Amino acid sequence: MNCTRRNFLIGGSTTLFLSGFFPKLSLASIQKKNLIVISLRGGMDGLTAVPVIGDNRLKKLRKRLILENTLKLNSDFALHPKLEIFHQLWKKDKAAFVHATNIPYTGRSHFDGQNLMETGAHTPYTEKTGWLGRGLLASDIIGKGLAISLPMPLLLRGVPQNNNFFPSPDFVQTKLIDSIYNEFTGAHNELIRSTFDTIKKRPISMQTATNSDDRDKLALEAAKQLKDPSGPRVAVFDLDGFDTHAAQGGVDGAHADELEEVNNIVNILYKNLGTSFDNTLIVTLTEFGRTIKQNGANGTEHGYGSVILMAGGLLKKSQVYTDWPGLKKKNLFEGRDLDSTIDSRAVYNSAMSVCFNKDPDFLRREVFWGDNLPDLSQELFKV
Amino acid sequence: MSLNFYRRVAFGLSLNDKKPDDPLNWALNQVNTLPDLLWPGSIPSEKEMRKKYGEWVYGDRKILRKKYKNDKNAYKKAKDELRIKTGERFFELNEHAIRHYQTKNSKQPVFERFWLFWGNHFAISEKDFLAEFSTGPYQREIIRPNMIKTFEDMVQSVTISWCMIHHLDNSESVGPNSKSKQWNPRETINENHARELLELHTVSPSAGYTQEDVIQLAYIMTGWSHKWSNKELETGDVWFDQDKHQKGEKQILGVKYKNDAKRELFKVIHDLATHPICIKFVSTKLCRHFITDEPTAEMINPVINVWKNSDGNLVEIHKEVIRQAFKFNNNTHKFQPPELWLMQLSKIFDLNIPAPAEKMNYQFEFKPSRRQQQLTWWLEEIGHSPYRAKQPNGWSDFEVDWVSPELLLRRLWFASKILPNFIKKENNGHEFILKCLEKNFDDHSKMAALIQNYKLELTKKDIERKYGIICNLPGVLKV
Repeated sequence: MNCTRRNFLIGGSTTLFLSGFFPKLSLASIQKKNLIVISLRGGMDGLTAVPVIGDNRLKKLRKRLILENTLKLNSDFALHPKLEIFHQLWKKDKAAFVHATNIPYTGRSHFDGQNLMETGAHTPYTEKTGWLGRGLLASDIIGKGLAISLPMPLLLRGVPQNNNFFPSPDFVQTKLIDSIYNEFTGAHNELIRSTFDTIKKRPISMQTATNSDDRDKLALEAAKQLKDPSGPRVAVFDLDGFDTHAAQGGVDGAHADELEEVNNIVNILYKNLGTSFDNTLIVTLTEFGRTIKQNGANGTEHGYGSVILMAGGLLKKSQVYTDWPGLKKKNLFEGRDLDSTIDSRAVYNSAMSVCFNKDPDFLRREVFWGDNLPDLSQELFKV
Repeated sequence: MSLNFYRRVAFGLSLNDKKPDDPLNWALNQVNTLPDLLWPGSIPSEKEMRKKYGEWVYGDRKILRKKYKNDKNAYKKAKDELRIKTGERFFELNEHAIRHYQTKNSKQPVFERFWLFWGNHFAISEKDFLAEFSTGPYQREIIRPNMIKTFEDMVQSVTISWCMIHHLDNSESVGPNSKSKQWNPRETINENHARELLELHTVSPSAGYTQEDVIQLAYIMTGWSHKWSNKELETGDVWFDQDKHQKGEKQILGVKYKNDAKRELFKVIHDLATHPICIKFVSTKLCRHFITDEPTAEMINPVINVWKNSDGNLVEIHKEVIRQAFKFNNNTHKFQPPELWLMQLSKIFDLNIPAPAEKMNYQFEFKPSRRQQQLTWWLEEIGHSPYRAKQPNGWSDFEVDWVSPELLLRRLWFASKILPNFIKKENNGHEFILKCLEKNFDDHSKMAALIQNYKLELTKKDIERKYGIICNLPGVLKV
């Protein structure tokens, strides 16, 4: 069959009906809900992660990047074989995908694009805070962010006292901080002083040394923290290496290795969050997708539309949510890229509204300057 | 003048350094000439290192993968042996030693600070095996000699260097109307290098170039590639391959470039490197690096003027940046990123860093020793392995990108657990540290009071605390 422009959106009108309305405190909202964002830097190829099997044009344009043994999702879409845990969760209504989506950025620069995927803004380098940081601040959730990386990602900036976990090789005496803390006076030392405050509040398990090359251990610790009712409510993982201009390959290529890392993190979170997984939402974030056509080096160039991978018990059901633009030349963005028909910020705004128990319209105004981002929480998440 | 000027534009003063009578002239006089590299150990050439790179990729890709295609474990073992035999495990360690020996011992430390700046402006990020074999030699042979020439000269050398061409995939870029494309219709242009040349190296996005400008520049750059051979693979010299070049007129930022083969690139580089927006962008970046995260027009404009009046002469530009850094020294604060902080501590406390040259002898037989690996390992652990920036925009110059719980904890870790083991025997004792503080910090007596309790150095813990505290005070993390 030929998958052309079709509307997969069901119940679109309920959005209007429910906008502005948000249920009062229910039992579900008393329980701590976790939002986990996995940044996929370099430009994740949505058509490698979630290939459209209903369209022969993909095969024609990508002769050398063809996937075998994909995991079938429905009659139109399949899943990359390395995303195996998503397939398992799909069967339990705990995995879903938003396709042909991205931030409203078409410039194809990594640095501008990554800046915008994290700030949520329209012009690169104009905002110094991340949408997730602003969302937490607007929801009065302070000191509940956890970054699993050495530098603090821009995405989480804008709310004070976030933590990050990427332990040093030896135990560090936090007592040393007491000896220098009072020396950090004045506005120009405020950032460092507040970071010391965060360190002092860390749980014991985060003070022990470990090997930070071991991503499994980091994901395990993150799961442990998120499971704790008084622990962080937001975690951010950072992966790079999706910029596969060359040797992108199919089932075993460079892109597949990166997807395997995503799969691994989600797998560990799933296995270790236990029942907390039911109150968790995992979403991915990338700066752009990649060109439909393979380039001369069996890779792909910077593109536009991509996919959001989602997992967790807060998902409404297993579905590929998309307003599919089609792959005919005239349907492609600038004749070369999968188009983006859903502003991915609408997904993130809705995800925050569900996890932070905030009215999506309120967050949209506080975090995204009142941009026109439809509320998708009814379609995508358990509200 | 505040003593922190010596750290702002250099690495501080060691006890053996004479305190300059005229700090501004002391600094200005250091950027006129190209200082020799002082490392007494081996300093391999870029070309030599590329050959090693070639031996490694050829040995792995062409030989081992085929030989052991059915035995994963044997393949892994053979590959590890090849890493040792080709120096894949060693050369980056040696590069870090060359770099840190230079910043510690150079007679022109201010020059070395600009060297670090330009190496990061034209950053080679972590890709393939560049950090292992090529980024260090690139910093020494491409960046360094151009620092006494013009900015345009530097952009030219960088753009056609093997390291940058490989880093940004230009060898894979083929013009749609080129001969090569006719033979192999699957080949297309690769915009990566063209985009970064505009965005990061010269005019920046504020020049308002379009996607079409990027494509047109990529057309001009088609043909600049490594010479491929079966034995060397991608490690052959860079040349201009006419067969890959897109023929016809091109237009970038409104300027037309007539069909002129390899000469097109030098014309467009001239226009980009002398573009007013490029001058403003790079001048701002220089001021940000040395003065403060948000430099003002009052700081930047003098640099822009000197740039314009000297036709981009880097010696003159560096001098003006020094003058502005001097002028604003006492009322600005600048956060020092981890590697720079380590270099300054190494200089101020005369640490045994890097390992002595005789310890860096490598026989291509066994994996590198612990001592050989130390510096590289620390740099990774404090979050600033210089030749492994994650993106082609290099390491950030903003404080906010360097302050997080883990990054601060790691500085505490380095200062208390590692540094004390690298103090020279003759420098043990409380007197030594007091003298070092006096030489480098105006508020040294206040600093000394904070470590007064540990002055007897009764236990190892006392020394750990002493250096842990001193090295992480606000005036040491910042200038």
